[in-house]
Parts: sequence; C-alpha cells; structure tokens
Amino acid sequence: MKITFWGVRGSYPVPGAATVRYGGQTSCVEIRTESGGCLIVDAGTGLRALGQKLSREGGVPRQFHVLLSHVHWDHIQGLPFFEPAYIPGNRIAVYALLTAADELDQVIGGITRHEFFPMPLERVPAQFQFIEVKPTVAMDIEDFHVLPIALNHPYGAVGYRVDADGTSVAYVADTAPFHEVLHKQHFLCGLEPLSHEDLAALAAMRAGLVAALRGVDTVVYDTHFLPEEYKRFPHYGHSTPDQALEICAEAGVRTLVLYHHAPSHSDDQMDEVAERYRQLGKAQGIEVVTSQEGMTLMVGAQEPR
Amino acid sequence: MKLRFWGVRGSFAMCGREVLRYGGNTTSIELVAASGTRLLIDLGTGATELAKLLMQGEFGRGQGELPILLSHTHLDHIQGLPFFTPFFVKGNRIRIVGADPPGLSLQATLQNQLAPHYSPLNGLENLAAGVSIDTIVPGSTFTLGEFEVETALVPHGNMWTTAFRVTADGKVVTFLSDVEYPEPEAPLPEALHLARHADLLIHDAMHSDDDYQLRRGWGHSPARAAISVAEKAAVRRLALFHHSPDATDAMIDETVWRARAETKIELFAAAEGSYLEV
Ligand SMILES: [Zn+2]
Ligand SMILES: [Zn+2]
Ligand SMILES: [Zn+2]
Repeated sequence: MKITFWGVRGSYPVPGAATVRYGGQTSCVEIRTESGGCLIVDAGTGLRALGQKLSREGGVPRQFHVLLSHVHWDHIQGLPFFEPAYIPGNRIAVYALLTAADELDQVIGGITRHEFFPMPLERVPAQFQFIEVKPTVAMDIEDFHVLPIALNHPYGAVGYRVDADGTSVAYVADTAPFHEVLHKQHFLCGLEPLSHEDLAALAAMRAGLVAALRGVDTVVYDTHFLPEEYKRFPHYGHSTPDQALEICAEAGVRTLVLYHHAPSHSDDQMDEVAERYRQLGKAQGIEVVTSQEGMTLMVGAQEPR
Repeated sequence: MKLRFWGVRGSFAMCGREVLRYGGNTTSIELVAASGTRLLIDLGTGATELAKLLMQGEFGRGQGELPILLSHTHLDHIQGLPFFTPFFVKGNRIRIVGADPPGLSLQATLQNQLAPHYSPLNGLENLAAGVSIDTIVPGSTFTLGEFEVETALVPHGNMWTTAFRVTADGKVVTFLSDVEYPEPEAPLPEALHLARHADLLIHDAMHSDDDYQLRRGWGHSPARAAISVAEKAAVRRLALFHHSPDATDAMIDETVWRARAETKIELFAAAEGSYLEV
C-alpha cells in the first residue's frame, strides 16, 4: 500500500511563495494498493489535481470511492472540481458521517447549488452515491477493509483505519485532543466546564481511537496547531504534534505523519516543526514525517525511510 | 485613489511555483481613497491576506470600519469570509453590500455558508464584529463613505453578477468580472455605460480565445471581450482579471502580449502585489 498527499493544509487554501514547498491546498490523500485499488480520503482543494491525474489514467467508466472525515469546507471544497465527475459513466461513492439534520446529498450537493457554483452536483454526467458511515462499523470497499473511528470535532468527524496488502494506514483528521473540550452539536466560543458524563465520553473516545490505531503502520494525524497556538484556541477542534505523538506512542504506531498544517505556517516554520518532532519522535521510537503536497509514502515498508 | 489586488484568480485558488508572479488567490480588491478610507470588492481567499494587514492597525483594536461589495456569491468570491479575521474582533464595523442571488436572500446564502455542518463558526451571529448585510438592487447608485458606487446587473452563465463603477477622489474604477455577453465583441450597453471613460477597467478575461470556444456559456469572457468593452467605453487602462486556475504565469504573459497587439488601449494582467495609483 502507498499513500500520496494531494492537499495537506487545514482551513483554507494558501497560495504564495511561503507555502510552495509544503503546499497550499487543503485536505486530500490517495491510498493505493499494490494491485491498483484506489481510495480517496477527503475532498479538499487537493482533489482537483488528483482528479486530473486520475483522468489521465483513463479506464472509463470507473468507480471512485471518496471517504470524508466530515463536511467542513476545507474537506469538501474540491468536489465540484473533480474532473472524473464530468465524465459520463463514472460512478463516485461518497462516504460520510451524518452530522447535521439534512441528508448527505443535501449537505454535500448543497455546495454546488446555483448561488455557490455554476454546475449542481445532481446534473454532472457522473453518477454520485452517498453512503452514511458509522463509527466502529467496518466496511469492505474493493481491496480495502475500512474502520471508521469517532473523533472530537465540532458536530463530529470520523477518522479511518484502512487495512490492505497485509498492512495498515490510518487517517485521523480533524480532531481535538481528549482532555479539556468535548465537541458536541453546538457552537463553542471557548472552553466549557465538563460534566462527569462529558469526561467519560472523552475517555471512551480516546480509548476507542487508541484501540483502533493499535499496531497501525502509518498514521496521518491532524496536527494543525503548535503547542503555543493550541493554548489560545483549544476549542477550535485541532491537535498538536505532541498530542498526536502521545496517542501514537500508546497505540504502538510505527510512523506518524503530521498533517492539516495551519494556513499561517510558512515553509521555513514547517522545516523547524519537522525537525523538532522528528527528534522527539525518534526518542520514543516513532518515525515522524511531515506531510508535503505531492509526497508519496510506502506503507508497511520494512527499511527505514 | 489607490488600488491593490489581493486575489486575481478565478474559480479556484491555485498554489505552486507556476503562478507565483500573478498569484493564486481568488478575487479580492482593496480600494483606498486619498483620506485613507477603504472599500473592499469581494471576499475570495485574497481577503485573508489583506486581513493580516488590517489586523495590525485599527481592526486589531476593534476600531475598524469597512464596507465590502460582493459581486455575487459563487464560492471563489466568498471563500475568504470565514477566515477574514477582522470579523472576529468585537467593535469592528463591517458592512457587506450586495444583491440577492436568484430566488434567495444574500443574508440566507451567507448564513448557509457558515451553517454548522460546513463551518465551526456556526452562523453569522457568532462573528464578534457584528456584520450587517445590506441588500442592494442592481442598477441603483449609492454612497459608501467617500466612495460613490454605481451598479448594474450583468449575465454570468446561469447566474447574474453585480458590476460596479466606483468613484473617489475624482477617479473611476469599474469592476466587471464574472461576466459573459451573448457575443464577446458586442458587450451589453449596461456594461459599456458602467465603464464609460473609466480610469481603470477591471474585466473578466478568464479564457484565451482558443479556450473560449470550448467554454462558451459557462459565464466568463475571453480577453477580446475585455478589450472590446475597453475600446467602446474609451477607458484609460484595462486590467485583465479572473485568470483561469490553469493559466501559468507564462501563459498569462502570452495573453497580455497578444492582447497588446490587438489594441491601442493600455492594458496589463492583474497581479497580486503592491498598491497601484489609479
Ligand atoms: Zn479541516
Ligand atoms: Zn474541520
Ligand atoms: Zn469567479
């Protein structure tokens, strides 16, 4: 199995000289098996370039599978720009958590209504199908065994553990840590006091995540914030590399990939982050890699990278 | 009047080395009158860069005041709204001024952009600055501080866009983006009227002439439509705008050379960068 990063940025795309090396497009990764099986996780702006590559691969009509962590703009904005959606005969299955009152097609298709986009999703030539996922309920999609994992993010999000080719990769974004905020179905403008039930829910979510990540080869994790930034915005629903390392160490993960970089982080700053956490990880026996747009990692590779 | 392009790209924010000179951010233009008061046109991703500058001044202290004109609500023109940091500081007074999209209200559309499933902001009411949204009727003329604004509705595929003629300090900037005329060389009279003798015309030029043949009806103009408006309205300068996400810096350079060979009008391709004197 291998994983390619098409968008590694969080919140919104950031063009410009300061982000050319790590990349400015938002959340999107491609997971491939040795036999060519393809799974797309998240449909941020990185999906546009991935769609262009997939179109060049040919093989019409094709079935695509897109797993969504949640439907915040930075994770679905690429969908209207996905070239295979404009090719008749293609089928695109979109998997997502049902987080709000509407149906999935209303919410996801809603970003292409006339006020937002010139071409509504229900009128594109390809056939879209929307499938609800439930945390802990595993799915078999082509060659992949996929386990959705509950995460701590406003209105809910899911991560995915993906097993194939005798190895495993997990995608854990977006999520806050599990000690001081419990995201539910309402707006948080700061920290709120936690009840006993809230604390129990957080402990259960954390335990569920660690269990799901147990022994996973490579984990891609939302590490939007540096520790000093997290202190100012603990209620925003994102983690730090330190919090990701703590979870990965407990789960016995081989490689942690830092992902969903804050839009304000320049390439030079990311170089420092990459080096600092490479060292910190090494001390704990975990290889820490900082994701960059265009990067491909072999999952389950035996030799050190 | 001074002007700065913060976002010049159409449809999609483009990243990478191939677009560094013209810039990859989507539509956002700042106008500054001689007295220092500002007017913003559109809230594409470019607005997030302007936000950083504003926050260093009075907007960081909650004492800023800013009117924002919205041409329409396609994503590339409002994408920066949830990340425009002056909205998060109590005390700033920000007015969004634009027309209702067909069959909807502007208020409801922007509220939907911040709906809980799409955005952790969870609705306009959570923007600390308190945003006022003023719906205008295209065709009307009004004043925003020192800026006099004349408007017109122009066709944009299956939508409409509001075009603006902004006058301040005796200078005129006309914004005509996201527009497609029935025939590129026969621009509509309302567009010509808005652009008449403008000091600067900013016009949709998303497509090269070859490209346009494949994209007719999608709501955007080829460069020759922009030239046609500029000549017929006798503007002083023309800025080609709303560059295609697929247009690299080299391709935009070529569009400019070709366009210059076609007309006597002074023209350039809009680029993210420093302040221009109108
Ligand atoms: Zn995100
Ligand atoms: Zn999110
Ligand atoms: Zn546009």
